[in-house]
Amino acid sequence: MAYSDKVIDHYENPRNVGSLSKEDANVGTGLVGAPECGDVMKLQVKVNPVTGVIDDAKFKTFGCGSAIASSSLATEWLKGKTVEEALAIKNTDIVEELALPPVKIHCSVLAEDAIKAAIADYKAKQEKGEPALAGAQPHA
Amino acid sequence: MTSEPTKTPTMIECHSCGAGAPLREHFCPQCTNILQLSRHGDYFSYFGLPRQLQLDPQELEKRFRDLSRQFHPDFFYNGPATLKLASLERSSYLNDAYRVLKNTAARAEYLLGLEGLSPLKAEATAASKVAVPASLLEEVFAFNEELDEIREARESGAPHGALVERLERARAPIVLKQDEHEHQVEALCAQWDADHSRATLEALRECLLERHYLTNLLATIDREAASLASA
Repeated sequence: MAYSDKVIDHYENPRNVGSLSKEDANVGTGLVGAPECGDVMKLQVKVNPVTGVIDDAKFKTFGCGSAIASSSLATEWLKGKTVEEALAIKNTDIVEELALPPVKIHCSVLAEDAIKAAIADYKAKQEKGEPALAGAQPHA
Repeated sequence: MTSEPTKTPTMIECHSCGAGAPLREHFCPQCTNILQLSRHGDYFSYFGLPRQLQLDPQELEKRFRDLSRQFHPDFFYNGPATLKLASLERSSYLNDAYRVLKNTAARAEYLLGLEGLSPLKAEATAASKVAVPASLLEEVFAFNEELDEIREARESGAPHGALVERLERARAPIVLKQDEHEHQVEALCAQWDADHSRATLEALRECLLERHYLTNLLATIDREAASLASA
């Protein structure tokens, strides 16, 4: 089984690798894992509290090429989307874009889980009402 | 022990004399010829052992040696083709069964399959997701980051002596955690033998899955150690 050119491109030149401050009230962090293959994936989004748009997204994945490519692609797609638009990203979109074979579909599932976890974390922080963001409302 | 589903046959027909023999038999009780390998049954019954997760390794080895001797293809060298084939198939199945049963984790994984729990393969993830404790994920992530930094330092030409030390410091807590897991697996095995409950099996499955992380980390450490030693 060969990786598609897009997977190889993301694997060799991953976009948006790195970390955002976990302490920042506008940053949501999702840490997910696929124990079957021993993969761990961290994906973070930084949301503009006024517009509700994701200004920045970072990831760090320890896993196979497909897992790295899936999360790299996810961060590319997340930037510029609203939180609600981000939640509409489906793992099947990732599968299609990267032409993942059936045995690697779980990597795209992991990326979707990571997006959902990161946004859930962001929303939880907002609901707690961080003082710095007293005026910002979660976007419905 | 859990009862077998009723549709599974319990008898096998002897190809030599046509008599019916119970599945657990290896040789026909009527004509004493070796029986062809049945598609039914499992590794435990093949060894005449109950479906238990705790077993005495010496007893297993003894049974393995006895059966290997009885099935040995040399005894069937001049016999009819069906018996030669039966001896080969029984020997090879015996080797597979022994390899799996003698290892605690492999034995437990095998039993999960027998009991109808999904396998521990990556492709199964989407269908049967297990929630990994967040604390474990965080630890695994941190371990991975440390290993990544060591690799980067090596690639940018940092002195190897210090890196080897740092790598061994990273290894120690993972080995410790693996030991902890080993005990947990053993405890769950004992519990399953006592209660044969689904909940115990599911806990065991989670525990075995978590071990994959530790196994992977240790494999990464070994690779890094090899790179540091060779350069």
